[in-house]
Amino acid sequence: MFHQPVDIETALRLRGERPDATVVNGCTDVSVARNHGMLHPREVIDLSRIASLKTIEHDGDNLLIGAGATFAQLGKCHLKALREAALSVAGPAIRNQGTIGGNLVTASPAGDGCVALLAMGGDVELASAARGSRWVDVRAFFLGYRKTELAGDELVTRVRVPYNPVTRWYKIGKRGAVNISLVCAAVARRTDGSFGLAYGCVGPIPLFAPKAERVLARGPLTDALIAEAADVVESEVAPIDDHRGSADYRRAMCRTLTTRLLADIAKNGDQGDADAFSAGAAA
Amino acid sequence: MPSALAPLPDDIPLTRITCTINGEQVVADAPVDCTLLTFLRDIVGLTGTKGACLEGECGSCTVLIDGKPVTSCLMLAGQVNGRTITTVEGLADGDALDVIQEKFVETGAAQCGYCTPGLIMSARALLNDNPSISESELLTALEGNICRCTGYASIVEAVRRAHRELKS
Repeated sequence: MFHQPVDIETALRLRGERPDATVVNGCTDVSVARNHGMLHPREVIDLSRIASLKTIEHDGDNLLIGAGATFAQLGKCHLKALREAALSVAGPAIRNQGTIGGNLVTASPAGDGCVALLAMGGDVELASAARGSRWVDVRAFFLGYRKTELAGDELVTRVRVPYNPVTRWYKIGKRGAVNISLVCAAVARRTDGSFGLAYGCVGPIPLFAPKAERVLARGPLTDALIAEAADVVESEVAPIDDHRGSADYRRAMCRTLTTRLLADIAKNGDQGDADAFSAGAAA
Repeated sequence: MPSALAPLPDDIPLTRITCTINGEQVVADAPVDCTLLTFLRDIVGLTGTKGACLEGECGSCTVLIDGKPVTSCLMLAGQVNGRTITTVEGLADGDALDVIQEKFVETGAAQCGYCTPGLIMSARALLNDNPSISESELLTALEGNICRCTGYASIVEAVRRAHRELKS
């Protein structure tokens, strides 16, 4: 059976009734597993026809992103880190397919979108037909290597992030495009002055750095404080050696990226996070 | 590595797909887990679209859905139900080549030719979207397509020439 619900209620009912069905939206990660012979779905719930999952809205304080918003859509978002992370994913064709909800559920340590969300902070809406919806802090969503808080009968429906953080993003990889992160980092200064620091490919899940964030909370954002935070970040990440790069290199790059991105915020502030809300035009 | 073109497990249920491919309505059954790439090549018989990496690294399987480029190896055939698909076979009008194809011939932008259909479809999507683009937009539009023969200079030049011709 190939289900193509056009509304979220039907999708949630199907998810509850068909625990063995494979849920897809952009389907890019599921297709790779399928092409490698690891998965041959016999029943599919395709979420790509649900228009309400694709919207990006603004409620004043928050940006509400439908789980089916594609990286192409997020590539027009006003939040610099989220926009640049989205545009660093694969190439234009895959950015038309892959979605932020899929990025979260796949929960790869290299999930660029996840890293941007972790830095900004926010919540993920999980919904089921049986229990309605609940909001989970994005920082509590990733439980372990490709394990998340999502229950078997739930779907990710929306992501809520603060509307006005000052954000920065950088990805290190081997190519300029179609580039899986070797290390990536996102930083955010929220409107209350607190900082978010997040990193990809330096642990089993996308990581954030609460101890370094507490260092930065002492403020103001001087070179000395940035250096102290970057030191702490090195002790908070847990990279491994693999074919893309060594653990030592990744740890060193976490320090470098933290320093550079924070220094850029200290110097240039919100330059780059456009004032005008442009995400709505992206749908 | 098992191939997307290898035989599928034979107990996968079928799903009925109705879509428009290159202007013609197609109604066909495909296994639930069949990719769009396999559907186009093995069920519909349009072998212009190529499969290579089968994991989204190369872009050789690029086709257009409702005018937008997608990698056909990374989606399921059932997902195109009701959609309009354009493959490289849909560009020429009889013997009259599409301007992008013409310029690929003119600049000699194919060596082994395996990446060519995907590159042409990425370029087609770009020029469909916006006839007036910058050099960096042009390069970004092609960034998801690898040419293993490294013939990028003549490929990019072909797309530049097609762009100039469409703009004038």
